[in-house]
Parts: sequence; C-alpha cells; structure tokens
Amino acid sequence: MITPGIDTNATFDKKLYLPRMARILEIKTMTAREKYFKVELPQPLGHRPGQFVMLSQLGIGEAPISISCGPRTDTILEMVIRNVGTLTQVLHGLQPGRKVGVRGPFGSGFNLADFRGRDVLFVAGGLGLAPLRSLIQPILAQPELYGSITLISGCRTPADELYREEVQTWSRLDNGQGKIRIIRLVDDTAHLTWDGEVGLVTEPLADLKMQPDNTVVALCGPPVMYKFVIMELNARGVPHNQIFVDLERRMKCGVGKCGHCQINHVTCCQEGPVFRFDLIENLPEAFR
Amino acid sequence: MNAFLVRKEAVSAWIRRLAQKNTVYFPQRAGHSALRFKPVQEGSEVQFERYHPTLVPPGKKLAPANEVLFHYRQERPDDPEMEPAMDESPRILAGVRPCDLKGIHLMDRANHEGHGDPHYLLRRAHTTLIAHDCLQPCDDACFCDAAGSLHWRQNADVFLTPVADDLLLEIQSDRGKALVQGENFPVCPDVAAYKARAEKMRTKPFGRQFVTALTNLPGIIAKQWQSPVWEQHVERCFSCGTCNLVCPTCYCFDVHDDFEITNVHAGQRTRTWDGCMLPGFAEVAGGHNFRPQPAARQRHRVKRKFEYLTRHFAETSFCTGCGRCGRQCTANIDIFNIVNDLAKNAEVRP
Ligand SMILES: Cc1cc2nc3c(=O)[nH]c(=O)nc-3n(C[C@H](O)[C@H](O)[C@H](O)COP(=O)(O)OP(=O)(O)OC[C@H]3O[C@@H](n4cnc5c(N)ncnc54)[C@H](O)[C@@H]3O)c2cc1C
Ligand code: SF4
Ligand code: SF4
Ligand code: FES
Repeated sequence: MITPGIDTNATFDKKLYLPRMARILEIKTMTAREKYFKVELPQPLGHRPGQFVMLSQLGIGEAPISISCGPRTDTILEMVIRNVGTLTQVLHGLQPGRKVGVRGPFGSGFNLADFRGRDVLFVAGGLGLAPLRSLIQPILAQPELYGSITLISGCRTPADELYREEVQTWSRLDNGQGKIRIIRLVDDTAHLTWDGEVGLVTEPLADLKMQPDNTVVALCGPPVMYKFVIMELNARGVPHNQIFVDLERRMKCGVGKCGHCQINHVTCCQEGPVFRFDLIENLPEAFR
Repeated sequence: MNAFLVRKEAVSAWIRRLAQKNTVYFPQRAGHSALRFKPVQEGSEVQFERYHPTLVPPGKKLAPANEVLFHYRQERPDDPEMEPAMDESPRILAGVRPCDLKGIHLMDRANHEGHGDPHYLLRRAHTTLIAHDCLQPCDDACFCDAAGSLHWRQNADVFLTPVADDLLLEIQSDRGKALVQGENFPVCPDVAAYKARAEKMRTKPFGRQFVTALTNLPGIIAKQWQSPVWEQHVERCFSCGTCNLVCPTCYCFDVHDDFEITNVHAGQRTRTWDGCMLPGFAEVAGGHNFRPQPAARQRHRVKRKFEYLTRHFAETSFCTGCGRCGRQCTANIDIFNIVNDLAKNAEVRP
C-alpha cells in the first residue's frame, strides 16, 4: 500500500466548517419580521465591529448574520435576525435555552482607529442598523475620543424600527451639548404615531451641519441605498477614503472558498463585508 | 536514475499492478464514447492512446460532488456530537493529461489560500499523480497550448512521454519514486534526446491559438466590461451551468443540511458543486440579484478564468484550455471564441 507523505506544505484546520454550539439566552420580538437574539458562546468571540458569523441550525442550514454588539471580552453575542427563509424561520421559532451553531467571526470589520478624533456619521437603512450597532456602541461608550457623532437611521414605517428604546437612550446621551445627534426617519408613518422625521435617509444629509474633511462615514443598508447616499456625500464633499460601506452578498462558506460572495475580483466575506469606499468604487459590481 | 524507457504494454501492466494494492483511477470508457476516471479493476482496459478528455476532469476526485463536511448526531437535544468527514484514503490518478495536471495545480493554489480547505487538502495530500503527455490535440475544441497548459509538468509525481513504442517514464517526486520501487525498468540512456524526439512528433500549431499572447489577455479583458461580445455569445445560453460543472477550475459550492430519514436527530452538512452561470447564484435575501442577466454571469465566469484569478495568483490563466465547456454546451458556446473575440475587439493582431 502506498501512503504518500503530505508534501503540500498545508496547514489546515479540520474543523473549519464545524460550528461551535451557543446557547440562546434571550429572544425579543423587535418588529413583525425581526427578532433580537442574545446567545452565550463556548468561548469569547473576540470580534471587531462589522464582522459576521455563520449561524446555523443542524439539519436546517447555515447563513451569514452580522454581529450586532460592540467588541466584548465575555462570551455574549447579540444578533438581529429577519425572518426571510428556511433557516431564519426556524430560528424565529426557537425558545431560549436551545442552541445554535456559530462559526466565525469572519470578515474585515471596521477599525475604530479610522474614526478616532474625527466627526462620525452613521447612515443605517432598515436592518443595516444591526451591524452598525456593533460600531455605534463602542463609539458612544467613549464619545470623548471622537468629534460630533451623528446617526441617521431610516426604516419603512414606525412598526419597522429596530432598537427603538436604545436609540432613544442614545439621543439622551447628548445633554444638550449638540455633540450627539440622532435622526430617525420613516418612509411612511403608515398612520401610526411617530416622533421622528419622514423621508429617506438621503434627505437630512443635504443640510446636515458637517465638516466634510473631518467626517468619517459608516454606511449599511439595502443595495439601493448606497448609490443615493454616496451621491449626497459627494455633493457635500466627503472624501471617498473617509467613507466605509458594509455590503451584503450571498455567502455559503464565509472563508473565501465557495465563490458566492465575489464582487468582481474581491471576496466579500474575506476582504469585506466592510470596505473603504475609495478602494472599491471602481468595481462595477459593488453597487449595482 | 530518474528516467526510464519502458514498453507501453509494460507501463499498462505496471498500472494494473499498482491497482492491486491501491485505488488507481484511470480514464476508461463509459457508455459509447465518453471516458471517465474510474478505478482500475481486474480486466479494466489501461490504454493510454485514443485519449479524449473525460466528461468530468480528474481533479474533481479531490472535491467530489455532494461531499459531506461533517456528520452530526443529536440524541440529547442541543448537545450534538459532530465529526468532520475527512477522507484520507490514498489514491493514484493515472493518465492525467497536462491540461488537467495544471487544473489540479490551480485547485491546489485556490484551496491552500487563506483558510485552507481541510477536505481538499487532506485528499490532495494522499493523492499521487501519474501524468501523460499529449502529442496531438484531442479534438477541435482543445486549446491547451494557447491556454499555457500543454507543457505543464509541475505536480506530477511521474510523467510519461510517448516515444515510438515506448514511454519515457520520468520520476518527479519521492512519491513517484516509491511507485517504481522494485520495478526493473530499463534506464533511459539520454533523456534529452528522447524528449527532443517526442517534441518533434508534436503537432504544430497545437490546437486552436488565440490572436494574441496569453499574457495580454488579463489586460485586454479588464478593459472590456461593456463589450458587445458578452451579449453576442450568450444569446443562446440556457443558464444551465454545465460549463461550470465540467470545468477543472470551477470550485464554487453550495452548502445544505440533511437529516437521516430514519433518525431526525442525525444527519450531515453537505456541499454540492454550484455554478456562477446559474441564475440564483448571486441572489441575496429580498430577491436582489447582483448578476441577473446571463451576459453578466458569463462575463463573471470568463473574467474569473482569465483575469481575476490569474492576477490574484499572479499566474497563468485559470482556464486550462481543456475544451470541456465548449464540448458539453448544448448551445455551442465556447469560452475560446469569447476570449478570442474580446482580443480581436481590442484590435490586437497576432
Ligand atoms: C455579511 C452578511 C451579514 C448579514 N447579516 C444579517 C443580519 O444581521 N440579520 C439578518 O436577518 N440577515 C443578515 N444577512 C442576510 C442573511 O444571511 C440572509 O437573509 C439569509 O441567507 C437567510 O437565510 P434563510 O435560510 O432563512 O433564507 P433562505 O431560505 O436562504 O432564503 C432567503 C432569501 O435568499 C434567496 N434565496 C434563497 N435560496 C435561493 C436560491 N436557491 N436561489 C435564489 N435565491 C435564493 C431568496 O431571495 C430568499 O428570499 C446577512 C448577510 C450577509 C452576507
Ligand atoms: S453550458 Fe452553455 S448553455 Fe449552459 S450555462 Fe454554460 S454557456 Fe450557458
Ligand atoms: S473554462 Fe472551459 S476550456 Fe477552460 S478549463 Fe474550464 S472547461 Fe476547460
Ligand atoms: S462566502 Fe464563500 S467565498 Fe465568500
């Protein structure tokens, strides 16, 4: 029997595709479509803001889900999951105490150093607030390290708003200093009571008080949002290397192997999903 | 003593002998005309001549369809036992042609990169390659020379070159050496001379040639995002994904779970071959599709082979010129013609 030696110089992790099991501590209904999940991992995740995990239920499947909490040293992971299909529907039916599979963290994420000492502008569309929260939390925890901090968060109707109470506590952090501004918008009040503004996230950008040269922007939302927000940021003169975008693609592996998340020559799961805009603005597939 | 000159029948007999102790895959007739890499058994034909590219490339033995990633068992709810399915069974792929040898080399690169794929790498580490040169093109679909594969020798453990009634048998690695242990093959007196003889026998030009050098293609293709060529060549495309399935350098996959019919607490996570030509490949939740038109998908496939992966790995093209996609496409869409038309459009002349 010939047993050839390994001469491929390969070091590999046999458990690359194996999830670790995490216990669900808490599930909260946020909207008709989204639920908040708090899970406890076997070991701390050690993630950066903007990274994601591959979340799974054995026998059902696996999908990429953004980490929705800031970096932490304990074993807690928070996520917001929209019920859209096979896996997410099953997850929505689970009760605390059950377990889910987690792989990761994956992706590039945001780097807090890019924001330090600058004015910070977050633009979130719908579910985009969930990943951005992982960046908003550490920044609001030490606002003295940053200039002005602005969040523009839009969703379809008041019933679709995520993290409503928490976003309201963020606006109260300001104490009338004008350093922290929270702008909440809906496309349509849908005849519900609404204490924010009505319109698209692009609208407040036009007359936002800002110093474009000193502003760093983090952007996450549905595919259609990027083009319009970036047009508006262009009009305001924000340099492209001060804009960070969090993009979504179909993902099956999270580790650069399955090919699904490819944006031209770039692998979204590895080099993204957070990209500095000037580095990908010339990729024709980035914002279509 | 690294090269031998062996009668063809003796080499076939040697392969059959190897197959008594090892799993040896060799191209064998399946049905009327198609060849497939199948295990050599008692009575199998081991025939190096009359080769025609196999339906599925040999490299797919390293990344099989419907590959189990791990099994799980969950007798107590939420306390699963999970076991990665690792295939460490040794195997020999024999009769691998230069284009497919290059295909395997390129898959080695892609699977090593970053997070190494453990399933592929482990199989690969237990695979020995016996390759065989081509002195004439397989058919009209072949363009391996143009794609830089014809002279590919790297990664073969043993390389065979036909010289009249003999095969020049070159040992290229320790694994290759182990295969000929104990065989009293006659040593080749002058390797260079025999190689030159074989080279003289080689058809020239060898198969179809592009209108420009291979090294020009990434640059040319990079500039043609909006070329009419994309639409022209895709008019008849059914988006069936066959071109992806048969390609030695297509490695994209989908992942899904199954549980056992008899036991819902046990099952496996499996990956299946997927293809960027299939309409849903780049669709995300909510129905947004990043490549809705067939032309956009074809462009992505061609760019991956000749631009993206080529540049990423700073190497020769990721299309090996095996011709399988063109041969198998019901609509006669041929990547050679697409690329050649792009080159012509760029007004590059030979
Ligand atoms: C980096 C990243 C972060 C993400 N973060 C979050 C998050 O924080 N929260 C969240 O809720 N979601 C997030 N998503 C989206 C989430 O991954 C998808 O919604 C997920 O795939 C849903 O899985 P599912 O099995 O429930 O849906 P599926 O059953 O896979 O169906 C979901 C949708 O995918 C499409 N689809 C599915 N299968 C096919 C097919 N074969 N062909 C074509 N289209 C198909 C359809 O449009 C369908 O509506 C993120 C995605 C990425 C890439
Ligand atoms: S095999 Fe032919 S018809 Fe099928 S997807 Fe490929 S190019 Fe289109
Ligand atoms: S693209 Fe076609 S010719 Fe090129 S390697 Fe793949 S199957 Fe062979
Ligand atoms: S998710 Fe598989 S390559 Fe990115």
